[in-house]
Amino acid sequence: MIARQAILLRRELWEHRSILVTPAVIGLLVSLMAVTGHVVVSTFDQAVDGVILGASALGETQRSSAVGVLMTGISSLFAIAMWILTVFYALDALYTERKDRSILFWRSIPCTDSETVLSKLVTAMLVVPLVSFAAIIVTHLVVLSLTSLWIEWRGANAWHLIWSATPFIDNWVATLVVLLALPLWLSPFIGWFLFVSAFTKRSPFLVAFLPIFILPMLEKTLVGSTLLAEALFVRTGKLPLFQGLDTGDLLFYEGEKMAAGEAPSISLLPLLDLSRFFGSPALWLGIVVCALFVLAAIYVRRYRDDT
Amino acid sequence: MTSLVSARNVSKYYGKVRAVDDVSFDIEKGRIMGLIGPNGAGKTTLLKAVLGLTDCQGSLSVLGLDPFRERKELMREISFIADVAVLPRWIRVSQLLHFVETVHPHFSRARADELLARTKIRRDARVRELSKGMITQLHLSIIVAIDAKLLVLDEPTIGLDIIFRKEFYTNLLNDYFDGERTILITTHQVEEIEHLLTDVMFINDGRIVLQAGMDALPQQYVELMTSGENAERARQYKPIFERDVFGKKVLTFEGVRREQLQGLGDLRTPAIADLFVAKIKGAPA
Repeated sequence: MIARQAILLRRELWEHRSILVTPAVIGLLVSLMAVTGHVVVSTFDQAVDGVILGASALGETQRSSAVGVLMTGISSLFAIAMWILTVFYALDALYTERKDRSILFWRSIPCTDSETVLSKLVTAMLVVPLVSFAAIIVTHLVVLSLTSLWIEWRGANAWHLIWSATPFIDNWVATLVVLLALPLWLSPFIGWFLFVSAFTKRSPFLVAFLPIFILPMLEKTLVGSTLLAEALFVRTGKLPLFQGLDTGDLLFYEGEKMAAGEAPSISLLPLLDLSRFFGSPALWLGIVVCALFVLAAIYVRRYRDDT
Repeated sequence: MTSLVSARNVSKYYGKVRAVDDVSFDIEKGRIMGLIGPNGAGKTTLLKAVLGLTDCQGSLSVLGLDPFRERKELMREISFIADVAVLPRWIRVSQLLHFVETVHPHFSRARADELLARTKIRRDARVRELSKGMITQLHLSIIVAIDAKLLVLDEPTIGLDIIFRKEFYTNLLNDYFDGERTILITTHQVEEIEHLLTDVMFINDGRIVLQAGMDALPQQYVELMTSGENAERARQYKPIFERDVFGKKVLTFEGVRREQLQGLGDLRTPAIADLFVAKIKGAPA
């Protein structure tokens, strides 16, 4: 059972190499940017040394929060790319096999439709985030190592400036939680995309996104209410994972803190509020919607006969 | 009798179109059944019903299972090639072998390796890099390495050149068929499979128009090549079909004893392709 699910997941990685390639490319680009950044900054010779000196004199909290902001910035890039990747993956997952007729081969193998569709859901919800997470850690380490080399070359103490103060584990655990919570929170969309991918005869992208924009407009014009718009769009920015804050507010909150001369949060970890997340009815409602769409996708793959 | 496939009054409608219309038949263990019919006759629909890919009315049992409701169990025991070009194009040969080996309880990796060693297929090649013939060889090697009780082939050689088609059937007979296994096959190129079939079934407009063992055909059907007066005399035995060949008449008879036609011209057992045309075209409209 586990061996079967494992090979089905590997199959997804064989087919959708972008799941591995995209994070790798982003990691490479970020690392390259770090190198060019250091080279460019180095042209401001003396001023740079002044800044490094100033930074070295800062307290541990400020130093670690500066590194933390850099790390979180990098993670956010990956998180955005991860979501785009997930959307394209889910729309492709059950569509291409019908388009190239390879579904006839997959259905000649003793795997049930539920097993197959579930492997695609697990890929979107778990495999994609975990791959992104691994890429984030590697990128963090590469970028900070490059910076350390540069700092050492400029004659300052990188261990003191970067490595001694940064709460890596703290930052990474928080990143992992966010990466896994995001697809859970957006699971109704993932379910919808898989369902579209299973039933549409052509252009899954259009079929998936048109209703998302048109239905709320219809509701507004015909009924005058904005329930759908709120359910669909507001949800994206309202991940109830942070203490008393929504995702959108988080940036504000940090900005205000910095403007007030306070250090930004060293890590997101203390801000995470898992009980708020798992206690949120909206989360569970979303998961139920996702489950219904996934069942519908299994049903369509199982019973529709269009081969 | 050990019926591997047993169909009773099987029908399949697409809207109002009757693709398969009240069909009943049995396939016994160890037989090679050819299912032959013109385009749109319902061949593929019938195969899909047998493979559990589509639901149907009537009662259909394959290896004692309901193919549509017990698909997963069924797929462990049977294997099928629905068409030549359905292997996923992105997959590597080695990945494909590894996948089937993990998922299929009756797949023998050693057997597949042995069969593939005879071909020029590289293990690290992707399916999209292989020629059409090689893709078929690959698919067949996998299918043959599955110890299945029933093998279903739907137009397995479509789009292949004559050399590959010949090879395909030779390999099928040598590597797969051992008298224990059962094959159900459809194809347009009847001539090529004629010699390997043990049973034949004609289907037209969703109905079975002929169902017989190959060894029973000579008793049931006879073809007379003749001309002029003899042709006129032969017509009283009511041929089911008549055609012209090089200025001569060829008459096909059903249920007429050879002795009755003796002396009227050359007698022989009709080829499957000719018999097929006779049954389909000669059928009372």
